[in-house]
Amino acid sequence: MDAIDTMIGMGRETIDMIVDAGSFVENGIPGFTLPCADYGPGAVVGSAKMDGRVCTIVANDAMPSNPRFPVVTSGIIGMEEGYKMAMAVYRSIEADAGKPLADKRPLLLIVDTPGNGPGKVEEIVGMNKATGAYQLALAEARKTGHPVLAVVIGRAISGAFLCHGLQADQILSLSDKYGTMIHVMPLTSIARITKQDIEKLTALSKTNPVFAAGPEFFFRLGGVEEIIEAPDAIRDCVLKHIDEIYRLKAERQTDRLGPWGRGELGEERGGRVTRKAVMQRMNEQFAAVADRYLRA
Amino acid sequence: MSTWHTLQERSFLESSARQRAIGLVDAGSFSELVGPLERFVSPHLPILGEAIEFDDGIVTGVGLLGKHPAIVISQEGRFIGGSVGEVGGAKMVGALKLALSIFESLQQGSAAEAEARRPIVLISFETGGVRLHEANAGLLAHAEVMDLLQDLRRKVPVVALIGSKIGCFGGMGFIAAATDVIVMSEFSRLGLTGPEVIEQEMGRNEFDASDRALVFRTTGGKHKFIMGDCNFLVGDTLADFRRQAQHVAQMSMIEIEGMRRIGSRGAVERQMKLVAFAADLRPRDSTDMWKALGNKEPQQLIAASEEEFQKIAVRWNA
Repeated sequence: MDAIDTMIGMGRETIDMIVDAGSFVENGIPGFTLPCADYGPGAVVGSAKMDGRVCTIVANDAMPSNPRFPVVTSGIIGMEEGYKMAMAVYRSIEADAGKPLADKRPLLLIVDTPGNGPGKVEEIVGMNKATGAYQLALAEARKTGHPVLAVVIGRAISGAFLCHGLQADQILSLSDKYGTMIHVMPLTSIARITKQDIEKLTALSKTNPVFAAGPEFFFRLGGVEEIIEAPDAIRDCVLKHIDEIYRLKAERQTDRLGPWGRGELGEERGGRVTRKAVMQRMNEQFAAVADRYLRA
Repeated sequence: MSTWHTLQERSFLESSARQRAIGLVDAGSFSELVGPLERFVSPHLPILGEAIEFDDGIVTGVGLLGKHPAIVISQEGRFIGGSVGEVGGAKMVGALKLALSIFESLQQGSAAEAEARRPIVLISFETGGVRLHEANAGLLAHAEVMDLLQDLRRKVPVVALIGSKIGCFGGMGFIAAATDVIVMSEFSRLGLTGPEVIEQEMGRNEFDASDRALVFRTTGGKHKFIMGDCNFLVGDTLADFRRQAQHVAQMSMIEIEGMRRIGSRGAVERQMKLVAFAADLRPRDSTDMWKALGNKEPQQLIAASEEEFQKIAVRWNA
């Protein structure tokens, strides 16, 4: 096999690298149907097995363009894509409703998306609802007991990463040696909008984790659980973390998972230290006036 | 008290975040939490040589709407566009967490008391989302806010109040979409990608950001009301917004859940129908959508007062 230098644009190939050979069935989630065959083509959803266990896959496909919404290309999450992803999650929750924690299927998010649909029709209809809908679905799956794991293999940019990734229990990222990108906006755009000098920003971006781009800095902020050094290590790392998430949920340590858990991890790793102090002060100040509001 | 009475008739659009916070709850009932005296400032802005604010551009606190404790989050657009960084994000997250803990502590008492004192969260949005100067921390805070909105579901109503000059865009655009109830004035806007960004990314043919009328038709309160995203369109005074919040505080949780646009499979299925409708229609302008829904005279709707507008506008209904 030739050496791989990037996984960008390889969402479908990554599914095959991770799941049990030949087990992926596109759209094969119980009860899941689509209005048409090419609905939300930038999103790939389906069922597969990992070490024999049934799981749901939600990935980006950078190759097709959406025939009905022309701004949606290159792995962008448009309205159809967002709702398709949300439906895959809701159907997965329903398929395991009433089952014990150990039998709730894991959801694996394979992340390679440059953004949400930036068009006029998108704003007229409400792109914000599609991305919001998918996030709420993922949060519900996580709180219902499904392990939700995201693995960044290519681009994890801003709102699209919030939508597809940041609601997971844990987030893994392929090393930036493979061109992996995690950021809100390219430096050139940040420089223009904030009216800051690009050279100053470039220098700062190498050292300051709240500002810098890339998986290493997100790791320091607690935004990434573990960096995966090479593509052939993705599968084992995914399996290890799914086991860990099952264990933490069984032990009711859900505070160590999801967005809240990443806040705690960010403090442990020294990347976000003000967050907790702010919340502690808020609680103290409320306690001092609580009677006025709870017994009025 | 006199301040509060004066505030009531003030324009919401023109008011500051703190005036909105004070005026949205009962007279004299607002206590700011982690206010400017606490001096929790952004540790990141000084590195870039940028000015700080002692409240980091967001007011958080608690007040009362009758017997209901109201947790208030109010963003200040005049400080770096109301953008959300580490401190401001933590204030939002902390306030939502506080709402949840108040709810839980009330559950320890009698069921009737818990119902009569059910808390409510009021978020006045004025933001473009993540603060680029501390982008990663802002992004992570957005995810925490969304997580807590799901925790508060069916327990504590979360109301988005959008009446500010900047409106609500970027990552906060989908936070607002994920609240229970959205209240807007016709002068404010809600969306994801702001007009300037669409123009820059897709060209002026896609969107002319200098066309103010186009901007308001696309994301303004009236359009969002027709789309079903805005539940209540109100006038532009603080009293108008407060009365609407008071009304929501009295509603049952079932009724409130029914106001949501997203958050369940059924809601997603309804939105998918709207997307399919738009795919067939290929609107070039929001008024194409209005007409297709049965609003024969869009110009008349644009000119109508918000009261008149709500009587005659035909809304999307899946």
